Amino acid sequence: MIRVERIHKHFGRLHVLRGITFDLPRGEALVIIGPSGSGKSTLLRCINLLVEPDEGKVIIDGVQVNRPDIRPEWARQQVGMVFQSFNLFTHLNALENVALGPIRVKGMAREAAEEKAKQLLARVGLAAKTQAFPAELSGGQQQRVAIARALAMDPKAILFDEPTSALDPEYIREVLDVMTALARDGMTMVVVTHEMGFASNVAQRILFMDAGMIIEEGRPEEIFGNPKHERTRAFVGKILR
Amino acid sequence: MASALQQEGRSRARVFDTIAGIALTVGAIAFVMDIFVGRSGFDFGYVQGEIPGFFDATKLTFYATSLAYFGGMGIGFLVGWARAARSAPLARILHDRSALVDEEAPRWETRVDTGVAILFSGVKHTVRRIADGYVEIIRGTPLFVQIVFAWSVLIVNYPRLNQLELIAGIVALTVNTGAYQGEIFRAGLQTVHSGQVEAARAIGLSRWRAMRYVILPQALRLIIPPLTNEYIGLLKASSLLLVIGVQEITGYGRSEAFRTFKVFEAFAMVTGIYLLITIPLSKVVHAVEMRYRIPGLGIQAMGPQTHV
Amino acid sequence: MATAEATLGRQTERAPFPHASAIRITEALVGGTIFVVVLEVFLGFNLLDPALWSLYGSVFLAGIVRTLTYIALVLPVSVSIGFALGWARVSRFRALAWPATVYVEFFRGVPPLVIVIFASILGPNLFPERFQSVQLGLILGALAIGLHSASFQGEIFRAGFQSVPRGQLEAAQAIGMQPLQSMRSVVLPQALRLSLPPLSNEFAVLIKDTSLMAIISGGELFHRSQLFMDQSVLTGTGQLHWLFIVWTAVAAVYFVMTFTVTRAMRLLERKYHARGLEGISI
Repeated sequence: MIRVERIHKHFGRLHVLRGITFDLPRGEALVIIGPSGSGKSTLLRCINLLVEPDEGKVIIDGVQVNRPDIRPEWARQQVGMVFQSFNLFTHLNALENVALGPIRVKGMAREAAEEKAKQLLARVGLAAKTQAFPAELSGGQQQRVAIARALAMDPKAILFDEPTSALDPEYIREVLDVMTALARDGMTMVVVTHEMGFASNVAQRILFMDAGMIIEEGRPEEIFGNPKHERTRAFVGKILR
Repeated sequence: MASALQQEGRSRARVFDTIAGIALTVGAIAFVMDIFVGRSGFDFGYVQGEIPGFFDATKLTFYATSLAYFGGMGIGFLVGWARAARSAPLARILHDRSALVDEEAPRWETRVDTGVAILFSGVKHTVRRIADGYVEIIRGTPLFVQIVFAWSVLIVNYPRLNQLELIAGIVALTVNTGAYQGEIFRAGLQTVHSGQVEAARAIGLSRWRAMRYVILPQALRLIIPPLTNEYIGLLKASSLLLVIGVQEITGYGRSEAFRTFKVFEAFAMVTGIYLLITIPLSKVVHAVEMRYRIPGLGIQAMGPQTHV
Repeated sequence: MATAEATLGRQTERAPFPHASAIRITEALVGGTIFVVVLEVFLGFNLLDPALWSLYGSVFLAGIVRTLTYIALVLPVSVSIGFALGWARVSRFRALAWPATVYVEFFRGVPPLVIVIFASILGPNLFPERFQSVQLGLILGALAIGLHSASFQGEIFRAGFQSVPRGQLEAAQAIGMQPLQSMRSVVLPQALRLSLPPLSNEFAVLIKDTSLMAIISGGELFHRSQLFMDQSVLTGTGQLHWLFIVWTAVAAVYFVMTFTVTRAMRLLERKYHARGLEGISI
């Protein structure tokens, strides 16, 4: 479904991604873990072309998307993204936030888009908050609106960039619950996170990244229970205290 | 991927963009110059001959601006202080007083006490309101009017005063910049977070020492950029003194233009002088600002502003 | 500075208890009354001196009308150009950004008065003979005020654009919006909201700038009052203290105009306020 081949990215002198390759079949939930600065967020942004890889291929549904003759917008319509800092549009309420994509990008009629938005907000548990503005919502609520906003585009996959890292502890649960439900419903997803509980319960596969490279890859039991590499062991040891 | 090809195409576009940028800029300037100069040519001889005259006018401009600026700074500081200091509203005083009444003191003593407190805060309050009014009025009325107003006051009372126009102009500029600088000082004092005051008191500094060692150093670094921009703004505002006959740069330029009919040359000189002064000064201000800024703390200032 | 007050003054001028604004208005009225009383009783000025106003009244009104005309002409022009400049300055195309920067640097470095005089004297020469007239000079002078203000407004809009948090643009891109769409639906609405406070200050400046037209005999309030003063007072037919009264009246008119505009803009800000959107930062 999503395939990434030998991706390299430099920021100035910094070689942030050093030849990343992986495959993500449809319906699978992939979790990427690793220390800060390992390039996880950059990798995610290469998939939906918010960042252009210097070398390598990004292939979505069989189509290579990092080509000059394909508009990046197409890739972004196939693959949605949820950000660490939510990035809800401050001047729009929850309903409008979710409906904006369908209306402006997909050309949907306003009523249809708003109806769809209402359903999605209900799906993430925010049916009562459609008229609320982002400033009136808690962090957990904002993030759930962000997930609804990503879902509104009917994406083939969703990328989550540390979705709970900016949340107060009491709100993390509600967001993880939504994400878990999404995974169970068969959504293809790539999640960068530090929430190991989520990783072990929901992920079919885990990637451990460090310094721009994939160090180890495997099922949650393998990575957490029996890590093969020294660095993986060290990292997992620190996290799973 | 084919990012090599992509990159090449991108840098080519970049080069084209840069060339277009230069072409448009230079072209526009050349076009404008040609319109004005193309008809009758540019009289360089005139320009050369007039340099001494313009130099004197420039000196006068600096003189008036600087006097007004530093005079205004004194006013501005007082005004800013008056407006930045917090004073409790009347209702709060009355309420506090009644709550803190000393049960054992005789009635009249409490009344006097309260009276004094009210009086004191009343004075503070009035001073503050006067400062408010001063700033609002100066900022709400055109500098032209202020200049002519000052001039008319002097004319009425001291008609034979030597250099009356210049004095009136400097007075008006002083009062004007006093209000604007008052705003700068106020913003500077208020931006330093009240938490700083609390923290300073908490480690045992007296109010005065807290001010001296914690508040003022930060406030000073905050206000320097807007204050220097204010000087530049005042310099440009001094052009308005021509309305009462002061021969500063613009006034002199205009008289020259009418005298010799070399309108474009005269105004080119005027424009050139101002640009030569303000642009380097602005760059210096920017450099100073970058050097002394406290990250995360700043007065919103966007360069010299019009005073009019 | 004007903008310091706009962004910072507001956060400290909050009313801590009810009726604060009512008290403020009362104070202003009291202050005004004291001022008038002082004038009338101690200085013997009669602010409503019929001798003065019978002569000056029509001049006063004509001047106000002309000033309002200039404002109506200049304000829209300056906003349009200023907005275009701000957009150009943040554009990634150097072909747009560089000329815009030169424009802004030029007009900010030169006093508006110089531009006005320059435009009114030399401007008409650019036009074919039959269009050249005194009126053209005045119009060009007024436009010059607009061009000058546009450079400041350009900076305001630029700061507005740059203050929209970067994440907003990323999120718009992430749902597949093209650059123009994201500008229109996400960046622009927020940038405009952010620009309102400093913009209201600039409008006040613009209103006051119309007085510059007096130098080129623009016939607006300041100019006409000046003429009136020259004719009546200095030729000895009027009282000297008329000077004082006239300029106070003129100042009051401008004050009312700027006050109205800034308060109106504040209402606009309140109506469109996007909560959670921080003010303009550098």
